Amino acid sequence: MRTDDLIARLSDDLPPVRKDAVMRILLGAIALGVTGSILVMLLVLRPRHDLAEAMTSFGMWTKLAYTFALTGFGFWLVERAGRPGADMAKPALLLALPLLAIALLSTIQMNAQDADPHLLVMGHTSRVCAVLVTLTALPTLAATFWALRSLAPTRLGLAGAGAGLFAGAAGAFVYSFHCPEGAAPFIAVWYSLGIALTTAIGGFAGPRLLRW
Amino acid sequence: MIAQEAQYRDWMLAALMGDAGAYRMLLAGLTRHLRSYYARRLDGGVAEDAVQETLIAIHTRRATYDPALPFTAWVYGIARYKLIDEYRRHKRRATVPLDEAAELFGHDDANDAIAKRDVTKLLDKLPPAKRQLVKDIKLDGVSVADAAARTGLSESAVKVTVHRAIKSLGEGLEERDADR
Repeated sequence: MRTDDLIARLSDDLPPVRKDAVMRILLGAIALGVTGSILVMLLVLRPRHDLAEAMTSFGMWTKLAYTFALTGFGFWLVERAGRPGADMAKPALLLALPLLAIALLSTIQMNAQDADPHLLVMGHTSRVCAVLVTLTALPTLAATFWALRSLAPTRLGLAGAGAGLFAGAAGAFVYSFHCPEGAAPFIAVWYSLGIALTTAIGGFAGPRLLRW
Repeated sequence: MIAQEAQYRDWMLAALMGDAGAYRMLLAGLTRHLRSYYARRLDGGVAEDAVQETLIAIHTRRATYDPALPFTAWVYGIARYKLIDEYRRHKRRATVPLDEAAELFGHDDANDAIAKRDVTKLLDKLPPAKRQLVKDIKLDGVSVADAAARTGLSESAVKVTVHRAIKSLGEGLEERDADR
């Protein structure tokens, strides 16, 4: 086809584009993905027995706040990654805030008078934590990839890693309702490791699965 | 700031609201830059395909343009992505600068037309048969096989002829520069 004909054809039928089109694609897919992650937690892992009591504990809110902040900045990262020419530096830098906060809180807890450093870091579930965070994150990761494919990621490795970070953080948030741990050092190490694992998966899969 | 930014952005915003006339002007304008951009980086026949693919990408992904960001950077992001895609398809490894929208919008095929005119002048120095061969293969993107079939020469003879002709043109240029 001649390029002039192509231009004529493309501009022939031009429906208006909604201003929130990108948000709708992302939020729609993510709602689906997070539902999947919640189902994994509810049906495969099961919520912790003492969830009702735990909801008022400091440890629970440490987990929720840390993973929620990462999820938020991660979402922003994904939204930027789907737009050509958009800068990902700002949301990437903001990720340092929750990391600094959890590091600070960990230091405080480790230096408390009757602190047991080994228990604070290793808890009782350190062996499975990172892997289960990643498992919980997988449905969200798949949905985020699916959404990104209908946007326009131009740096596929970065976009995939951003999607992985977002999904890992969202998965960790959901996993918090299963996990009995609450010490900041445990969260700083094992939750972060699970999120890093999901980020690596996303970064690896990005160049393969996000092409358009 | 890139000179065309304001005009193109206006057209894009109108297009996003459904203004087909603005959209047509936008695409026609972008085509001139894209054609020059790809012609300098890809082989003749592939370059025009890349232009069309980029236009289609711009069209199908137009919702991803964020009006808070420069429009030219958005187009460059897509053009760069399609260039890398094209390299990958031909197993070429190359790095393409991330932040060079000026490189895309600094040229259009009007500049190229001037360059082409200079080349045409230079080609006039060649004997007609050779001139035709060089023009077909180097400027119009005719394949060596097609050129060979057309002229009745073997493919390797075509390659050698073109190579020698280009070399003699280069020597001509050096002499001209030395005369100055």
